[in-house]
Amino acid sequence: MAYQATRNRRIFVLFLLPVVAVLFLTTIYPMLYAGWLSFRNYDLAKPFIPRIFVGWANYAEILSSGTFLHALVTTLKLMAMTLSIQLVLGVGIALLVTQRLPGMGVARTLLLIPMMISPVIVGLVWLFLYFPELGYLNYFLSLVGLSGVGWITTTTWALWAIAIADIWQWTPFIMMGTAAALHSLSPEPYEAAMIDGNSRWDVFWRVTLPQLKPVLISLMFLRAIDAFKIYDIIFVLTKGGPGDSTEVLSMFIYRESFTFWRMGMGAAASFVSLAIITVLVTFFFKSLNRDRSALE
Amino acid sequence: MSSIALEKVVKRYGAFEIVHGIDLAIDKGEFVVLLGPSGCGKTTTLRMVAGLEDVSDGKLSIGGRVVNDVAPKDRGVAMVFQNYALYPHMTVRQNMEFALRPLKLAPGEVDRRVRETAAILGLDALLARKPSALSGGQRQRVAMGRAMVRTPEVFLFDEPLSNLDAKLRTQVRWEIGKLHKRLGTTILYVTHDQVEAMTLADKIVIMRDGHVEQVGSPEDVYTRPANTFVATFIGSPAMNLVPARLMGGKLQAEAFTLPLPDRFAGRTAEGQAVLIGTRPSDVTLTAADNPGALRATVEVTEYLGDDALLDLRVGLHEMIAQVPAANRPGNDASVHVTFNAAGLHLFDAATGGTLLS
Repeated sequence: MAYQATRNRRIFVLFLLPVVAVLFLTTIYPMLYAGWLSFRNYDLAKPFIPRIFVGWANYAEILSSGTFLHALVTTLKLMAMTLSIQLVLGVGIALLVTQRLPGMGVARTLLLIPMMISPVIVGLVWLFLYFPELGYLNYFLSLVGLSGVGWITTTTWALWAIAIADIWQWTPFIMMGTAAALHSLSPEPYEAAMIDGNSRWDVFWRVTLPQLKPVLISLMFLRAIDAFKIYDIIFVLTKGGPGDSTEVLSMFIYRESFTFWRMGMGAAASFVSLAIITVLVTFFFKSLNRDRSALE
Repeated sequence: MSSIALEKVVKRYGAFEIVHGIDLAIDKGEFVVLLGPSGCGKTTTLRMVAGLEDVSDGKLSIGGRVVNDVAPKDRGVAMVFQNYALYPHMTVRQNMEFALRPLKLAPGEVDRRVRETAAILGLDALLARKPSALSGGQRQRVAMGRAMVRTPEVFLFDEPLSNLDAKLRTQVRWEIGKLHKRLGTTILYVTHDQVEAMTLADKIVIMRDGHVEQVGSPEDVYTRPANTFVATFIGSPAMNLVPARLMGGKLQAEAFTLPLPDRFAGRTAEGQAVLIGTRPSDVTLTAADNPGALRATVEVTEYLGDDALLDLRVGLHEMIAQVPAANRPGNDASVHVTFNAAGLHLFDAATGGTLLS
């Protein structure tokens, strides 16, 4: 028996090994290496210079640099813009497509399409729409007599241009999750409210929304993590410009690492953003648990 | 004036008709129970009264006003649902207050009504709890409270006790009965449980397949069932039915002959095929030498405490007798039985309708 158990265990380990190896090579090792790098002065442009230990110098420089703080603020701004609008639109559309109306099933499927497109492609599609002279958006605006704007070429509009593309792509995600949650709500309380004569707004605000809250928090939380890492769309549309108006954290890290070749700085910035995400996650989970227990 | 009136009310889903032209008048303050097996259209009928289902055809009035096209909220009804339909994220107090919101009452009045209702239903101590922290019986009371605070003209109950266990069901049943006496509001109540119907109703409406089979007081439907469906649906165990034929003024069954009770004279025709109905409690054990005693074999004896149920075989006929448990015969015993002539029912074998009507 004992022999059998040991043997089984060995086979277990054997089967697990490839996964662990891949995980180690692609996630754990790079992370540890990045952690190691973040305390070194590593200039990829001068690889022959020894990677000296510099202590917290990289972190100190980042946290005191205006560029990093600007990137952080831009990230949070973009996050606030996209998440709030996605939430309102997503819930609104979910309420619409869960009505028993003809064509809603088809509409629901079609609405999911943006989510299935790779962000780089989404970026390219919107690039064609935003193009100052040849873009469709300004063309359509001109048809109704409005002069176009420099969607991705002016600091006023660039962040909104990115936000709009992101909203277009990810609103369906909120819609899908909300629609599923709406379907799981039991219909009787709604019938009771109908007989009692509660207004639709009252029912939405005081019956539906409180029951959706845990799901909405989860969805928002997933979107927040994604928004924090947003990269592809910005890379394709503006590359952080014009100026630094759309430079978010991931663009900052990219520039430090692969434009200025300051790998140590890039690694340190990555760890700072990891720390921020961790705080965010903890916060969200706490409020989610509070809400779950409130429902019980 | 009727509180609720249904005139030839029909419910169709597409081409499929579920409720076939029901007529029903409910007086103010009356407790009316819609009773029938599942799928008989009783809940659909209730939901039409509530306004949760459209009336496909016919006329539905509440308080003298035709309400076919009136929104549920404007019908002056309140409903208690089978699974309570409480708002899960609200406390008991909030659940009741939410029902009052559309009335736009002064805060003091809202508070007064909630307190008063909570006191009547014994919910005072539970006002701050959420539904998940309540037992089934308590949830049911909250659901009733939510309906009561609005002081509607009509209460609608949709199988309110079916999610409760047997003991609680009896208790809540009493509470509903007391509540009706106290409030005197018109109640329309749906159930498939004949005990609920018999104990609570002023008037029972027995439904089958979208038709009304009989309307009457509990005593009416028990002692004067209109047809074999009502006869076997009301009463437990069900009424025994034995096929027979009227021959020379006597009821000729396969295994026995009975004299035709006087009250059926002139209501039957010679040679007519009938069904003899006897309640199990009207089948009594008797001595072999008694006139009219029929030989029977006891197949199974079921002991119920005070009474025992005997599964009897009388010739080819199977029937059930309810006898005092004290001197019950054992399984396979050979006994003699007689039928209480006063409790005898006769139905037309072809239509199932009573011959007494």
